[in-house]
Amino acid sequence: MGSRWIWRALAIPGLVWLALFFVVAFYAIVSVGLGNVTTLYEPVPHWNPLDWNVGYIWAALKSVVPGGDTWDTFLRTVIYVIVAVALSLAIAYPVAWYAARHAGRWRGLILVLLVLPFWISYLMRMFAWTNLLADGGYATRVLHALSIDSLFQSIGLLDGNDWLGGQHIAVILALVYGYVPYLILPLFVALDRIDQRMIEAARDLGASAAAAFWRVVVPLSKVGTLAGIVLIALPMFGDYYTPDLISGSPKTAMMGNAINGYVQGGPDKSLGAALTLLLSAFLLIFMIYYLRVIRADQREAAAS
Amino acid sequence: MIDVSQGDIELVGLVKRYDDVVAVNGIDVNVAPGEFFTMLGPSGCGKTTTLRLIAGFERPDEGKILLDGVDMSRTPPHKRRVNTVFQSYALFPHKSVADNVGFGLRYQRVTKAEAKRRVGEAMALVRLQDYGQRRPAQLSGGQQQRVALARALVLEPPVLLLDEPLGALDARLRLDLQVELKRIQEQLGITFIYVTHDQDEALTMSDRVAVMRGGNIEQLGEPRELYEAPSTAFVANFLGASNLVPVSIGAADGDGAQLGLGSFTLRADRCPLGSGSDAVAMIRPENVRLEPQGNGGENRVPGMVEEVVYLGFHQEVRVRLANGTLIKVDVPNDDEQVEHEQGDPVCVHLPPRHLRVLAADAAVAPAEAAPVEQVPA
Amino acid sequence: MKRRPSFLAITTWVYIVWSLLPVLLAIRFAFNSGRSRTSLQGWSLRWFWEDPTLSVFHDPTLQSALVHSLELAAIVMLVATPLGTALALGMRRWRGRGSGTANIVLLLPLVTPELVFAVGMFLLFTTAFGFIGLGTTAQAIGQVTFTLSWVVLIVRGRLATIGRDVEEAAADLGAPPLHVVSRVLLPLLVPAMAASLLVSFALSIDDFVVSQYLASGADTTTVPMRIYSQARGGPTPALNALATIMLVVSLLALVLAYFVFKALTRGEQKEQRDTAFRQLAMEM
Repeated sequence: MGSRWIWRALAIPGLVWLALFFVVAFYAIVSVGLGNVTTLYEPVPHWNPLDWNVGYIWAALKSVVPGGDTWDTFLRTVIYVIVAVALSLAIAYPVAWYAARHAGRWRGLILVLLVLPFWISYLMRMFAWTNLLADGGYATRVLHALSIDSLFQSIGLLDGNDWLGGQHIAVILALVYGYVPYLILPLFVALDRIDQRMIEAARDLGASAAAAFWRVVVPLSKVGTLAGIVLIALPMFGDYYTPDLISGSPKTAMMGNAINGYVQGGPDKSLGAALTLLLSAFLLIFMIYYLRVIRADQREAAAS
Repeated sequence: MIDVSQGDIELVGLVKRYDDVVAVNGIDVNVAPGEFFTMLGPSGCGKTTTLRLIAGFERPDEGKILLDGVDMSRTPPHKRRVNTVFQSYALFPHKSVADNVGFGLRYQRVTKAEAKRRVGEAMALVRLQDYGQRRPAQLSGGQQQRVALARALVLEPPVLLLDEPLGALDARLRLDLQVELKRIQEQLGITFIYVTHDQDEALTMSDRVAVMRGGNIEQLGEPRELYEAPSTAFVANFLGASNLVPVSIGAADGDGAQLGLGSFTLRADRCPLGSGSDAVAMIRPENVRLEPQGNGGENRVPGMVEEVVYLGFHQEVRVRLANGTLIKVDVPNDDEQVEHEQGDPVCVHLPPRHLRVLAADAAVAPAEAAPVEQVPA
Repeated sequence: MKRRPSFLAITTWVYIVWSLLPVLLAIRFAFNSGRSRTSLQGWSLRWFWEDPTLSVFHDPTLQSALVHSLELAAIVMLVATPLGTALALGMRRWRGRGSGTANIVLLLPLVTPELVFAVGMFLLFTTAFGFIGLGTTAQAIGQVTFTLSWVVLIVRGRLATIGRDVEEAAADLGAPPLHVVSRVLLPLLVPAMAASLLVSFALSIDDFVVSQYLASGADTTTVPMRIYSQARGGPTPALNALATIMLVVSLLALVLAYFVFKALTRGEQKEQRDTAFRQLAMEM
């Protein structure tokens, strides 16, 4: 029908925009990473797939394997992410469970307070910790008063007295602080969705509260938990500002810092682009997994 | 004044598929101008889809939709001279009632004064004259439905389509609005094409009813005809209560035939089916006669009263026939009738002129051969 | 009935305090009368405007960051909202080939890591789109691109609440598709558009990675960038004051979005609105 043009006319500007500035932007990474450089080391993108030069991809690959320049950083990032996600889960789960099940009349208030960090700039939240962990800051003083700093020093978790100076533990805890709100919400949604009657049935059949939790709730929330984990692990791999703010030392550099260094800092933008591509490919696996988990979950929810 | 010669809708071989489901399976119908035509059936029978095809919200895969002889199956809905009243009313929440009603007038090239007059008339027609400045959210369901009606009628369409418009209203309101709708339709002389799953509505208001099932029209005719002479077990069961008794067809007897019911023999005045075929004999509960036990004669079967359900001005007496079939009998509660009680032996008379022989239909439950009422816990 | 607060309750409230207290303290430090950023030192508005050289009002670097952030946010909200609304409307009717892909592309910015997105835009504006180059325009374009997905989500949620019937009714009564949009859909979308304006404003204000990568110098610095560059330098509480101002502005925008949406949908059925909100929350 000729009068249908309006829908297309409405959609086209937005689609063109996305095509130009999102799809092509990504293609720019591909073209630069698979491109070459001028004598001044400025990147020359190779837009035509037939011109693609895998040189920088190779270089990037070589640097992220053991022995390469970026291997340490990559390994460190993986460890940071694993530890941070584990700690986040340990915090997020009980909080989400409480909010979903036991909050009673506080539920509305608690939800608002849990969602609030979303709307406070991430940088502001990290910035707040630079105030607290600085020399003479309140957190520093409390940690000293509780002798936690000497405890950490003795087991090697704290190197020297400066919390903000190249401390792995500080970066990991900052990551936890920064990302745990993003884990609590999907966990909350997954736990909230569990039918209370299943738990009651388990109790009815003789299970204790703890057993009911482990054997009924945890398995049922598996999907939401996995989705939540992927949701925070992905951005962590691209995070460079957290180590920069909380540590400022190359000792704690993450993959984000490495890429940042090449693209914004140094003469090797092409290598940076190639590294970004590798990182994207690495993350794509998780992204696909995430989308699959979500879709399977939706299908299940629709069927029930 | 509406030109009554317009408003002739003809559906020719209409087919609509959704993936592998055939929603409308080849419908041929001719709706006369000024007729109150109803499509009746259970959900999924294709009645709403057919209506949407006529309105233009869906395009048919095959077939034609003719309005006064002109095929409009390729015309977009805003150019068709039919208007729709939706089940959900679909009033514009951001506009006042008067603006809702006057919405479509902008496309009819009328002056402002003329538009105002027509809106006033339409609202008077549905008796909401003083509600012009209200918002839809401030109206009750019945009032919203009347606004939806006015909004469509103000455009003076030759054909009005109504998609279960009374579905969301309570029983009392529904009855009142049924009468209103019929009155309005007769007053204006517009063709109404009405969709419902409620057989009472269909019987009360319609000039003709098409009973639909699985995308086809099972039977089309005047309400009386459908009620008294259903052509299939499905139609018999859908329109009014019926007893469907599985029988075997024996020898022909003039226009009728001998029917075997277990060890009993019945006779029907008319039997369109040949001997040997699987059939059900249909008889309406109000046509069954209960006579004292032991009464002899044609078409009489002994039975025992299993249950008596009091329904106000009548009662439903459930009688188990000697061969095991359960028959429902509708008995008026007046002084002349004998009081029946559970356990009473009776003689059930099934007059041959009220027995209709229909093809057995596996999908339509016949009279229960064994008690199925749940024992209350 | 438990009388003692349970372990779970304690954990939750401890978490909430741990989560919000640092920010509250940072805000509190903005009101210090002394120079300390680490300890409480009285109350004063010195760092906001009283101090003649170092306060936000007087320090040119802080002020320009504030102004630039607000300018950028204004541009982004005024571009992303109509663009996203039109996109959501147009996509509604698209069932044919390509619609699945378009839908994915639409939502991809939401799951793409910011760094990847920023690197891509950076390379784009230094190579193929070098004629635009880095700077305010690039920053605006970058922010609009990821904000677009949010606007589409918000508008879509509202369209789902509006439902298909009203659209069909309008067409049935004679309105061509253009009028269906202008007379029925757009007026009903006003609450969603208002919410989109405010949400994109807040998203722009809080953005760091994209604006940093697409900046071209001192006058394209935003507040998050300023905080980032000065946080470790031992600055005065003026930085805290700047951060506080931005926090208040963006939270106000969001609270306003909520109330405006509620007010504009006041006349409608409560269940419809709650469904829309729930859908919106689920999307996030």
